[in-house]
Amino acid sequence: MEEIGFLGMGIMGKAMAMNLLRHGFKVSVWNRTLSKCDELKEHGASVGESPAAVIKKCKYTIGMLSDPPAALSVVFDKGGILEEICSGKGYIDMSTVDAETSAKISEAVQKKGGSFLEAPVSGSKKPAEDGQLVILAAGEKGLYDAILPAFDVLGKKSFFLGEVGNGAKMKLVVNMIMGSMMNAFSEGLVLADKSGLSPKTLLDVLDLAAIANPMFKMKGPSMIENSYSPAFPLKHQQKDMRLALALGDENAVSMPVAAAANEAFKKARSTGLGDLDFSAVYEIFKVTEPSA
Amino acid sequence: MVSLMRGVNYAAMATSSFCPSLPQHFKPTPIINFHQSSFSFKVFSSQSSADEVPTRVGFLGLGIMGSPMAQNLIKAGCDVTVWNRTKSKCDPLIDLGAKYKPSPAEVAASCDVTFAMLADPESAMVVACGEDGAANGMSPGKGYVDVSTVDGPTSKLINGQIKETGALFLEAPVSGSKKPAEDGQLIFLTAGDKALYERVATYLDIMGKSRFYLGDVGNGAAMKLVVNMIMGSMMTSFAEGLLLSEKVGLDPSVVVEVISQGAISAPMFSLKGPAMVQSKYPTAFPLKHQQKDMRLALGLAESVSQSTPIAAAANELYKVAKSHGLSDSDFSAVIEALKVKLKD
Repeated sequence: MEEIGFLGMGIMGKAMAMNLLRHGFKVSVWNRTLSKCDELKEHGASVGESPAAVIKKCKYTIGMLSDPPAALSVVFDKGGILEEICSGKGYIDMSTVDAETSAKISEAVQKKGGSFLEAPVSGSKKPAEDGQLVILAAGEKGLYDAILPAFDVLGKKSFFLGEVGNGAKMKLVVNMIMGSMMNAFSEGLVLADKSGLSPKTLLDVLDLAAIANPMFKMKGPSMIENSYSPAFPLKHQQKDMRLALALGDENAVSMPVAAAANEAFKKARSTGLGDLDFSAVYEIFKVTEPSA
Repeated sequence: MVSLMRGVNYAAMATSSFCPSLPQHFKPTPIINFHQSSFSFKVFSSQSSADEVPTRVGFLGLGIMGSPMAQNLIKAGCDVTVWNRTKSKCDPLIDLGAKYKPSPAEVAASCDVTFAMLADPESAMVVACGEDGAANGMSPGKGYVDVSTVDGPTSKLINGQIKETGALFLEAPVSGSKKPAEDGQLIFLTAGDKALYERVATYLDIMGKSRFYLGDVGNGAAMKLVVNMIMGSMMTSFAEGLLLSEKVGLDPSVVVEVISQGAISAPMFSLKGPAMVQSKYPTAFPLKHQQKDMRLALGLAESVSQSTPIAAAANELYKVAKSHGLSDSDFSAVIEALKVKLKD
């Protein structure tokens, strides 16, 4: 397959680009802070000085940005992809954004003759490193088919969900459930502890129960050690809850549990936990000191 | 004759025993009590092999859970005597060879160890401590194992009444609903008299896949409530997601599939998701009992001054579902509470 462009060398982008390199893909990378590209360069990637430069070089380019503003910026800003995108080229935005942002990007890319696919992922740092992401694609089927060899390396399963917007919505639904679950888990751990039970024993019980899941298994042990090394930063989880609630708002869907969960994430952000793993919301459920 | 157990590595059994071997995957579990931690080792109990006469086992309460649990004991060759408030529910068990007594007291008196599986704290209290209750048939050398899910205070009350007779008590609520009960795959969360725990381990292993001994009475009840609190909140989150997906034009069946591939994949979601998408809620765990557990968990949280906003929000949805007449549906019917309809 031809050289693939990759914009955004954060927690996810870096792991994903490395994965492609390891599987023999030629990759051209860009990051706003260029130094983040150094490790990729050492492993054989070429470095572009702007999103436009990467698009110019590559037939297909993947974007993995942290939020809607960043995703829009690499498209619309000076040096953005619109300067070079044209017929025969494709842009695959794997960032997690709201449906409106995705629609905006799709329209702009297609106006220039390019093809567009939104493809947010389910999975954080480790699944990205291990090529075990779940890819939720929507948009142009032709581009989906063309980029599938890369998806097969990046993930364990890809879904094509139809028109642009469906991938974004699917991702928000999944992360909404995940955010609420992390809150429920945190409430349980604290209640166990305060009731004189061993949180570790609770983890053992949960692991055997119908509600056992990889997230509890992976994060539980580090949570009870108060260790929150970021696989998925809390500020991004809260962003996703917010976008999911907005989606619910637009469609008048009742979501009281998600709303309660979002409150906890907001509280966590306000106490400075935004850059820690989203499991740090656990800290909010422990006894907090009243502010002086 | 004791029939072979599922999942047991008989090749590893060093000695032959009257008592079935314990499952290999069971790990030692710390006993947590207020003053010290110590390890509870899985004891390859040879107590039963010293018995000349098989233990007479009583079983009170033959509902969704009690019936398959008692059936598993009978099929394993145990000597079982049953009682149920509605006598007809005993008939299938009697057909399988169970004996019958017309009151909890008489069951307890005629048995060495009596299990009780009732729907809620009220019935658990009545069966244990009411007129003709099990306590009236208890005496030194006997044991009462309450497998009902109740609050700590109720469990301690029952414990007190039973211990007064000289008998031993074990609270042992389970994690797992109808199918795990049928398949002998329950998880026992026990607390109370350690000696009774060791004595009934055999029976817990017939009915379940694992067991925990958690120390003083109240700890088993608390652990069960914590687990079900998390479960109740998870179900409502899942329901919110399914409903949202449908309203924004996604296929909820695909949502179920996507979830099954990722970090939040849980057996509960894969099992119940497809039916929920069809608006079907076949009862494995009645919604009214899930709501009871949420209520008791919130009570536990209150007793230790803990704020639980997610569980509180979830509880409201179960209450709404109950008000819509969904008490006896599976607890997954809580999704209906999110679908607002005006009264005609």
